[in-house]
Amino acid sequence: MMMRGGRSLVSSPPAFSNDAKKLLVCTSNTVSVFSTATGLQITSLEGHTALVTSVVVVPPSSPAAKVLCYCWTASLDGTIRYWDFSVPELMKTIDIRVPIFNMVIPSFLDIPAVDKGKHQDLFAYVFTEDTKETQEKTKALRRQIRKCNLSKSRLVGRLILGETKKPEVLTVSPSGKFFGIRNKCKLHIWKVPDQGSEHAAVRKITLHHTKKITVIAFHPTQRVIAAGDVTGRILTWRGFGNIAFAENQKLINIQEDKPGVRDNDDADSCSTWHWHSAEVNVLSFSSDGAYLYSGGKEGVLVVWQLDTGKKKFLPRIGSPLLYFIDSPDPTLSAISCADNQIHLLKMPSMGILKTISGIKTPCCYPEMCKGLGNGIAFDQTAGLVALRTENYCIQFYSLFDDRGISEVHVCERNHQPGDDVTVIVTAVALSVDGSLMSTSEVKLAEEGIGGLVCLKFWQAGSQNKEFSLSTIVYDPHRDAGISAVTFHPSGNMVVSSSFGGDFKIWRCNNDIIQNDQMHQNFSWTCHAVGSYKKRPMTAAAFSADGSVLAVAAETLITLWNPYKNVLLAVLGETLTPIVNLSFLGKSDNLAAASCGSNPQLSVWSMSKLSLSWSYKLCIEAVASAVDSSSFAALALLPESSNETTFKGRDGVILLYNATNPVPTAIWSVKKAKGGALGFLQVNPSSVEEVDGKTPEVLLAYMSGDHEYVVFDPYCKDAHEVSISQKEGLSSLELKGQGGQYGYASIYGELPEFDKKSPETPWVPSFPSERPWETIFSGSSHNLPPLTKLCSAFLESLLEKRTAAVE
Amino acid sequence: MAEIRAEEQTLAISKTFLIKPKLKPKARTLPQTPESKYWSSFKSTQIPNLVSSISSLSFSPSPPHPFAAAYYASVSLFSPLSLSDGNVSPSSTISSFSDVVSSISFRSDGLLLAASDLSGLVQVFDVKTRTPLRRLRSHTRPVRFVKYPVLDKLHLLSGGDDAVVKFWDVAGESVVLDLTGHKDYVRCGDCSPVSSDLFVTGSYDHTVKVWDVRVEDSRSVLEVNHGKPVEDVIYLPSGGLIATAGGNSVKIWDLIGGGRMVHSMESHNKTVTSICVGRIRKENCGDESMEDRILSVGLDGYMKVFDYGNMRVTHSMRFPAPLMSVDFSPDCRTRVIGTSNGIIFAGRRKGKENVESGGGWNVLGFESISEPERRGLRPTHFRYFHRGQSEKPVEGDYLVMRNKKVKLAEHDKLLKKFRHKDALVSVLNKKSRENVVAVMEELVTRKKLLKCVSNLDADELGLLLMFLSKNATMPRYSSLLMGLTGKVIEMRAEDIRSSDPLKGHIRNLKRSIEEELRIQHSLQEIQGIISPLLRIAGRR
Repeated sequence: MMMRGGRSLVSSPPAFSNDAKKLLVCTSNTVSVFSTATGLQITSLEGHTALVTSVVVVPPSSPAAKVLCYCWTASLDGTIRYWDFSVPELMKTIDIRVPIFNMVIPSFLDIPAVDKGKHQDLFAYVFTEDTKETQEKTKALRRQIRKCNLSKSRLVGRLILGETKKPEVLTVSPSGKFFGIRNKCKLHIWKVPDQGSEHAAVRKITLHHTKKITVIAFHPTQRVIAAGDVTGRILTWRGFGNIAFAENQKLINIQEDKPGVRDNDDADSCSTWHWHSAEVNVLSFSSDGAYLYSGGKEGVLVVWQLDTGKKKFLPRIGSPLLYFIDSPDPTLSAISCADNQIHLLKMPSMGILKTISGIKTPCCYPEMCKGLGNGIAFDQTAGLVALRTENYCIQFYSLFDDRGISEVHVCERNHQPGDDVTVIVTAVALSVDGSLMSTSEVKLAEEGIGGLVCLKFWQAGSQNKEFSLSTIVYDPHRDAGISAVTFHPSGNMVVSSSFGGDFKIWRCNNDIIQNDQMHQNFSWTCHAVGSYKKRPMTAAAFSADGSVLAVAAETLITLWNPYKNVLLAVLGETLTPIVNLSFLGKSDNLAAASCGSNPQLSVWSMSKLSLSWSYKLCIEAVASAVDSSSFAALALLPESSNETTFKGRDGVILLYNATNPVPTAIWSVKKAKGGALGFLQVNPSSVEEVDGKTPEVLLAYMSGDHEYVVFDPYCKDAHEVSISQKEGLSSLELKGQGGQYGYASIYGELPEFDKKSPETPWVPSFPSERPWETIFSGSSHNLPPLTKLCSAFLESLLEKRTAAVE
Repeated sequence: MAEIRAEEQTLAISKTFLIKPKLKPKARTLPQTPESKYWSSFKSTQIPNLVSSISSLSFSPSPPHPFAAAYYASVSLFSPLSLSDGNVSPSSTISSFSDVVSSISFRSDGLLLAASDLSGLVQVFDVKTRTPLRRLRSHTRPVRFVKYPVLDKLHLLSGGDDAVVKFWDVAGESVVLDLTGHKDYVRCGDCSPVSSDLFVTGSYDHTVKVWDVRVEDSRSVLEVNHGKPVEDVIYLPSGGLIATAGGNSVKIWDLIGGGRMVHSMESHNKTVTSICVGRIRKENCGDESMEDRILSVGLDGYMKVFDYGNMRVTHSMRFPAPLMSVDFSPDCRTRVIGTSNGIIFAGRRKGKENVESGGGWNVLGFESISEPERRGLRPTHFRYFHRGQSEKPVEGDYLVMRNKKVKLAEHDKLLKKFRHKDALVSVLNKKSRENVVAVMEELVTRKKLLKCVSNLDADELGLLLMFLSKNATMPRYSSLLMGLTGKVIEMRAEDIRSSDPLKGHIRNLKRSIEEELRIQHSLQEIQGIISPLLRIAGRR
């Protein structure tokens, strides 16, 4: 069994069904059908093997046909498919063998009725990539607009309407008479020919502008076209194509005054509106043609009254707008935002009725704030993932249901896209039962003043995942940043480690306040402070029973008794600072991942206080199952091996048994940078059974783009499933390499990782250039007898005359 | 009640966030317990100028529970109602005594008052007319206590320095029983609240004896040894326990269990002079109940409240003089404490006038009478159409909810309009430093603070410098304000040099920073002294 999710809902514009009760959203290889009443997914159309780029709902030919649910979809796999999405059922597949970036079907918009006995062909205009003629053509103009006869399932031969460098968006007018594209500073408009032969000549005009045009929109009834440009201006040409598209080719007075129209273009007038400060991404006329909707990077939907130019706003959407779709129901429309949300708007008032919440996209922060971790935490029991978002929230996303559950506003701020980032949520941690959360945030200083670090503790309310703030700690480690926050298994203790050289243990005091109902109030206080030689503390972890706390002091691992705050032992040392510590389930092993110039994954035995084994691997994430000794590590592949062996996959998931340095399973993945791993406990109701037995645990992998896959790491079928799905070239792909018949073959492919073969040193330290620094460190019962040490020590003091001996 | 939103429910993506100051840390110690809240809710009134030590205090059992205080050779009656008004003069005074009054006691109906004095005389007065009705003379030495039995209106109990306890027939002015057995001064006694025949007396011979008038040969039924001269003894309301005070301790004895000591409370550090029973109303999960406490006062000036159910001291209060006597009114609204220098500390609690605990001390439970439920107005009643805005909704009404309007302060409005400098100036004028710092932090987040500073004109810069000179060294804000101060002086050096008022602000600033430096220096010295000690302590 295997579950995928977290796909982008906003890769291409969605489409409403004819009764406006369903919304069809392109989600990578599939088209998901959502109910507009509930905002939940009803069904999905599966069949395409690559990204679906367009979905076009067949409009009703008569009012009675409104209930019919047919749609055309086009995909990068080179097929156009025809679906009945109420069932859902695939009706027809047209394979044109070239990737389709965009498709519009203008013709059926003006076909009066198909049932008159006279069969008329249905034409679509598609934006394709020319793959065949690569040799002859210049590389620049490979993207073509072509005409496709959908009724006869073929491209109209040799008819190439236009060519551009990059795939552009085809926009069709609501009347179905025109379609156009933008091309840099120009605008090309074609008139759709009337019914007739497929080779009918298509007439074209071009309108010019001085700035790069980003989006165009056609007026539903008049010959008006609006275009937005990168500077935020909206241009409206009225009466375009009066000359070129004139019905009876009469010569009209050319010397007419044409205000605002450039270069003797074929339009009556051109007017400009300027409100947007950045580029316009959304332009759409209302269905009656009285209003124009525009939106852009600043996340404000503007409604222009077309005649007067008066404006109305829906402000503070908090994310750049991508698409605005009108529905057949005049009171409903949808906007897609860049943060993977689709808001359904109640129209005249522009209130948000429902939000179809996809997984939020990862935040991009300026360079100086790198190395803050990926801000992802898994709730093992509920199958949720908590991830930080750009608008200072923690989004809870259900991995099994593939939808957003809730959002917790961590900082009391609103996010404005395009603003400088000054507040960053750095870490999020969840307790094992998921009822408590701890977050840390950093407010960046302005020229050295006013910086602030906050540690916040949250408690879940009575309703699921409605967190309320219980304690704020300002500047918990003076002005030093927090490197890690971890919950104790019992949930009433938290450790926060800082780069400033100390860690603090916070304890929870819960007093039950008797109000109308029983109300638990948690308050967190500092229980202990610890530091080790003033080294920066870079990672922290509690053991499964909670009796040992491991804190990484750069290259050393310090072990503490968290209740009494006593240093138990020091393990060391690695070559570069440790960024990730994890106790391996119930076993007495500890995994430490360090990165930098000499990355390393090392496993330490707690019973022997020594290194068990280590690899030279750059580890992005480590996850360990609660009640078994195996653990999974997400390793980034070195750049060199990327091209040939792994076909664009840049990471591998390695499943280890703690005692065995040979991985038990390997999967290669895409976009591992910034990814996360987590084991999930299985809730039998949520998981279908495989071969009559439910898997014990599931492993969730989330890529750097927040797409995820959940699978059973121990099930052999999982490998085969992933292989059969290998053909589906989704952006996230898991390949069970070597999973079929042992991993030995794939293990042979990775010889470069084994530079450091498993080793067990006899003292808990690496022999370094200067042994006198490390030779005497460690617990006394671990130290070898003095006679041995003495000779080594003296030897190290003596200069070696290697050459002279010869 | 069903709720309907005024507009159809639409979700808001973004909220309006006000600029709020940072939260202050809460105290780690718990706030007042409900119990200490109760005991400190008695609003204290001093009744001064009563010449000498208040030897005895007693509440009348009949409402409105006036109390009598015995001091020197007189007894004064006070009305608790007048205490609320701040009137502290006695309502009446009895002064027909030839010697110092040692003890007073009301009869159970509150009409008669018995008083004993050091001449050996016990007198019974009519409370209203203040005339001595009976004079009981039989004691040969000073009488130390006199007590009316709780359930008996005809007899009286007294004891004195002649070590004899006398049981009187009041009407005939004759002694019914002479109870001999104590070997030293008898100082105190109490009558059982459940039986008219039983009573206890305490003496300086360290013993407390339980007497029964039905026993023929006038011997004590039970005897317990307190271990110290007994200053006071009381029956606890159940009648099975007694509490004795002597030395620094208050001990509780179980009489039914044969005189077994239940607990000894030793939280006073001087002699406990007087104890009485106090009551507290407990609210447990909705229903009210009364619980009894022992109030004890001592020469150390403390009043302690002892919960003998849980055996712990639940409240203690300090008074500025040695305390001699204490009593608590049966309606639980007044407690009075007498000191050795003639002051009565009377405490009165606000409450409904009709709060009555029924039959006084005998009723242990408190029955709460359920109030008749108020019925909501029906549309059949004419007042239904006269309801105002403040009308509360009734069950079954449909509530039309409207979103609460967010109140924006002036600086919030200005920040919303991105008028950053105006926001800073407006909040500087408002004199609330938390808000000033909060606005500054918001400006830092918007990366606009330094631009604001550079745009301030001379007057506004003066405001800012004044604020900085006052607050820059406050530890809560110093991390931001010290940095800002440096930047302000650096950026606006020329403006400051050219203006005299600004120079004055800078001088103030310099002074406060020098002061802070001195403090830091001395703190460092202290740290230098302490840290070796800590290190040595850590080694052990």
